[in-house]
Amino acid sequence: MTFRAVVFVSLCVSIGIAWIIESGAADVFLEATRPDFQKIPLGIAGIENMGGSESPEGRVKLGTRIEDVLKADVRRSLVFTLVDLPSLGIKVSHLGAEPDASFKQAAENGVSVIVWGKAGIKGGNKDADLSMDGYVYDAGNNEVVGGKRYIGSTSVARLMAHRFADELVFRYTGEPGIARTKIAYVSELGTARELFVMDYDGYDPRQLTADGFLNLMPRWSPDRRFLVFTTYRNRNTQDIDMIELATGKRWTLVTQGGLNITPALSPDGKALAYSSSHEGNAELYRLDTHTKAVQRLTTNAAGDLSPSWSPSGRELAFTSDRNGGPQIFLMSADGSNVRRLTFDGDYNAAPAWSPRGNWIAYVCRTPKKEYKLCVITPDGQKHLQLTTGLGVDDSPSWSPDGRHIVFSSAVDGKSQIYMINADGKDLERITFTGIHNSAPSWSPAS
Amino acid sequence: MKTLPASCLPLILGVIVLGIPACSKKAVRSGGDSQALQEEMARGERAKGGAGKEGANSSFPDTSFSGRDDANSLRGLDRNPSEERLGGNAGNGGTSGGAGHTNAMIAKADSGAAARQLAEIRAEQVASVAAGLRDVFFTYDSFSITDEGRHALSGNAEWARSNPYAQLKIEGHCDERGTSAYNLVLGEKRAKAVRNYLVELGVVPTHLSVVSYGKERPFCTEHTESCYSQNRRGHLVVKTGK
Repeated sequence: MTFRAVVFVSLCVSIGIAWIIESGAADVFLEATRPDFQKIPLGIAGIENMGGSESPEGRVKLGTRIEDVLKADVRRSLVFTLVDLPSLGIKVSHLGAEPDASFKQAAENGVSVIVWGKAGIKGGNKDADLSMDGYVYDAGNNEVVGGKRYIGSTSVARLMAHRFADELVFRYTGEPGIARTKIAYVSELGTARELFVMDYDGYDPRQLTADGFLNLMPRWSPDRRFLVFTTYRNRNTQDIDMIELATGKRWTLVTQGGLNITPALSPDGKALAYSSSHEGNAELYRLDTHTKAVQRLTTNAAGDLSPSWSPSGRELAFTSDRNGGPQIFLMSADGSNVRRLTFDGDYNAAPAWSPRGNWIAYVCRTPKKEYKLCVITPDGQKHLQLTTGLGVDDSPSWSPDGRHIVFSSAVDGKSQIYMINADGKDLERITFTGIHNSAPSWSPAS
Repeated sequence: MKTLPASCLPLILGVIVLGIPACSKKAVRSGGDSQALQEEMARGERAKGGAGKEGANSSFPDTSFSGRDDANSLRGLDRNPSEERLGGNAGNGGTSGGAGHTNAMIAKADSGAAARQLAEIRAEQVASVAAGLRDVFFTYDSFSITDEGRHALSGNAEWARSNPYAQLKIEGHCDERGTSAYNLVLGEKRAKAVRNYLVELGVVPTHLSVVSYGKERPFCTEHTESCYSQNRRGHLVVKTGK
């Protein structure tokens, strides 16, 4: 994966943009991780395998498994740099509640945080609970600044690591972390496409629907309780449905003739933006989820679709082919103040506004007619192509910390789900089961 | 949001006008949808739906976000950590005593659903083959009907006129290139172009319905131009069920 930056300079655009900055600046937040942000060097001294830590699946012991998950979470947090302690010559002799003598040496080598712990099942009774202790040593204070003890069945071993990783991120940034977030997506089952939810790292996929036909493009509610999506009722009509994850209970939100696609709940959950062609061609609408009143947002002879809310909920990015091929447009959430955002290339679609507000990810068609991931600032001043290569990339969705994008990429027509950093680094495939996984949507953080 | 200073307007318009030539390849427009026909169809759909079905359903729960979800939120690192019990075996993000929002996450499986759908699709296929209906194929990015397509549709129109009780469904399909969402719109444009031409040929509009499958139900799964051209299609189906 190469990182290719395309600097886009256009006098006319910058003039148009200058006005946008003046009037809509509130959606461009300062990023907590500024470009000069230095990642915090963190070492994991080990999660010791205590009695009964044999994993039910055999092979890897539970402590080791938790340690591996924790390492991956720490790496993906992008808040910490994972330091390999042995390569610094640090030999940890004892992992107890007190810091090991070697930690001071690690601190002198520039390691800011050292994490360790133990995991096991008391008495080795396989029906008893798994217990995991985690400790955090801060080099600045030269002391153990805190710890955690998690209790639960062996099936929550990964969750223990995820929660501990999020506690670390929270401690050092005040943000909740992404290790406990989920990704909703669509997976092919026979001739059907059903909704699934998995952990953010691709583990523990769970099937939500079993309709035997098409369910498309899920999006989360801001409280993570629901997904909204398009379903083909009786194969012939498209409705927008909502499903409650805890119960599987479903409601139909929009049912009318024509295409009813790309639903997206506003950040406050009070409005659903979606595209419908029931009055002719695909137009954007806004449904008040409390009063159930519907407001039409666009009026033109072309297709308008894929609304994505700005983090303030005051603006929408969307796709429109009113000028020929599809391009990304912005407008106020009441449908006023429409302006075109993308001018480069003849096919730009599927916008996703970053939760930090500073980027909009989308699918761009390159001069070689490849469909890749691009990002653009809402003022149009900067844009970058994040991915290269053969796959048809689609459906970008941001992590709640704004540091990653999850998307689908299809080689030979079969799609899998990947995540990539917002700067185009660390491409990582996260689905390995299922022959066709698409339309990922990253949950909010909790 | 402040209103746009009037002096900036010509500049903004300039941006838009200058931007348009960047779209070197525009979608080819067919005769397009006649707005009158659109409205007629929409009225037909609404009439079928009955009172109260127009637009939004009124009975779904309010999705307003009331704030952080305490059950799942972090408790912070502690010098003397108390035990934190993690919920059940369902891998939810929560701790015990919490709502465990994502706890169930298991499909309410209707095990017969897939089989029933398949049986209905097969019945439609059989009826469509028996009627001798022919499909219409499109070029890349386009929804205009070719001469060959017009020829195929004249045969279909003849069948429809001599079978006045038949309901025809026109499915719009796309090849695998491009985004899923935009291909749904393109598929609908294709299906509607087919419908409009059939109406021009005298088929009663209320006997025709359109549905777009975008690139979600391809006919051909190889990755060659000949396969792509098979998937850019207006597929005609005799409706046998609802």
